[in-house]
Amino acid sequence: MTAGVRTIVGLVCAAWLLLSASGSAHHAIGAKFDDTKATTINGVVTLVDWTNPHVHVFVNVKDAKGQIVNWAVELESTVDLQRSGWSKDTVQTGDAVTVQGIVARNGTRQVYGRSVVLSKTGRQVLNVVPPVFKTPLQPRPTPKWPDGLPRLGQLPGGVGGYWGYPSSTVLAENGVNAPMDEYGQLKNVADASKVAPMQPWALALYENRQRRFLQDDPTYLNCKPPGGVRQFQQPYGIQFVEDRERQRIFVLLGGGNHNYRIVYMDGRSQTGQVGGDDDNPLYYGRSVGRWDNGTLVVDTRGFNEDFWFTNGGLPHTDQLHLVERFTRTDFDTLKYEVTVEDRGAYTRPWSSGWTLRWVGGEELPTYFCQDNRP
Amino acid sequence: MQRRAFIITVLAGMLATGAGVLAQEGHPLKGSWIGTWTGNTVHGNDVLLVLTWDGKAITGTINPGTDNMAIKNASLNPDGWAVHLEADAKDKSGATITYVIDGKIENLAFHNRTITGTWKSQRGTGAFKIGRQ
Repeated sequence: MTAGVRTIVGLVCAAWLLLSASGSAHHAIGAKFDDTKATTINGVVTLVDWTNPHVHVFVNVKDAKGQIVNWAVELESTVDLQRSGWSKDTVQTGDAVTVQGIVARNGTRQVYGRSVVLSKTGRQVLNVVPPVFKTPLQPRPTPKWPDGLPRLGQLPGGVGGYWGYPSSTVLAENGVNAPMDEYGQLKNVADASKVAPMQPWALALYENRQRRFLQDDPTYLNCKPPGGVRQFQQPYGIQFVEDRERQRIFVLLGGGNHNYRIVYMDGRSQTGQVGGDDDNPLYYGRSVGRWDNGTLVVDTRGFNEDFWFTNGGLPHTDQLHLVERFTRTDFDTLKYEVTVEDRGAYTRPWSSGWTLRWVGGEELPTYFCQDNRP
Repeated sequence: MQRRAFIITVLAGMLATGAGVLAQEGHPLKGSWIGTWTGNTVHGNDVLLVLTWDGKAITGTINPGTDNMAIKNASLNPDGWAVHLEADAKDKSGATITYVIDGKIENLAFHNRTITGTWKSQRGTGAFKIGRQ
């Protein structure tokens, strides 16, 4: 091979590394990286790609043969890193760094960085620092509209806020003990049958998804909406916009593809309510809501099958029927309860629930899973 | 020329490796499937299936719109993703032909998964392969 050809092939390889490193959406870490294969690399930063869904730092590293090779270090999103106090200038081209992390399953020179240390200062950088919330000594009362119903969204005076930081990011039937990580990856796939009362085909499919480390998740692969349940377990929260004049509640998604769901509060039926979509199953189905003693009860049918409705990949069919209950138990806490009924995939209805925390004084993070995709 | 072919090959391989894929969702058999039942002299080599799942049974039609063979017996065994389909049809003389298809789902995780196996009837047997659309 001549030098010219080598150069072209080298450029193609570099471009491919860049594309494959940054072209996938925010994903379960285990889908791409093998947490049983840790590595440490030392090198010099050649590029900081400060974009969503994942920030990448490219590092020139001397390999065992003494040749310089380029590694892609994958980090969390710009949203997570900025929240933790970092910026695109925290690490710069030419900085020497030591990176500890886990390597890509596909054998490419990619590493998920669990630790990035600047050699010149010895300081760990670009790590995600969990937020610290100040819990009031006494729970603050639930804000209410003049008619006494709870306010789920914006507060009087226009003070912004949203709901985030769910107490659970995985869906399992109440009372089930089946340990899994924050992305819904079971610690032991043998626990799959405990998670929910699945039909045999659904259980086998769930196990298949688990054994493939959730890499087929359409929310990550194709930026598909998360659906009714999962939207309340996404990384960047949700915001309620209560349009009382039009008798509907908009549920805005902070992460994913930044879409929205409509809950109709005007007593309409679930069929034929949306012109043009009468027979078209939807990612969020058709949601109708009502108030029940201070709890918003939302009944939803008409889902399509083009998405995973949970982190972890519990299957569903177009027979999925959700009954969700939203209770703002105090100013800072939203209790979410859901009953899942899907005769196509489950043997009986089952329930789960968690809480979300009010993030006051902020708007939803600006994050689009479409960012930096080919 | 060889250089160009080499570069194109490398590029194509890498793009294929990095290309996104559509995931599988819902019941694995549900959907439209197109493929071949090789050697079928009665109904031709090309075959189209539309399958659905109501929570209890798999139903569907082979060659809807032309032969309209209703699937009378269908099963999916998740242990190995074995598929069994049976359907009756008529030949030109009006005689009943019963098709029995046995196969296995491959590439389960993908939207465009396939079923590969065999078909047989009173008039013959052959390879069967369909892909989900």
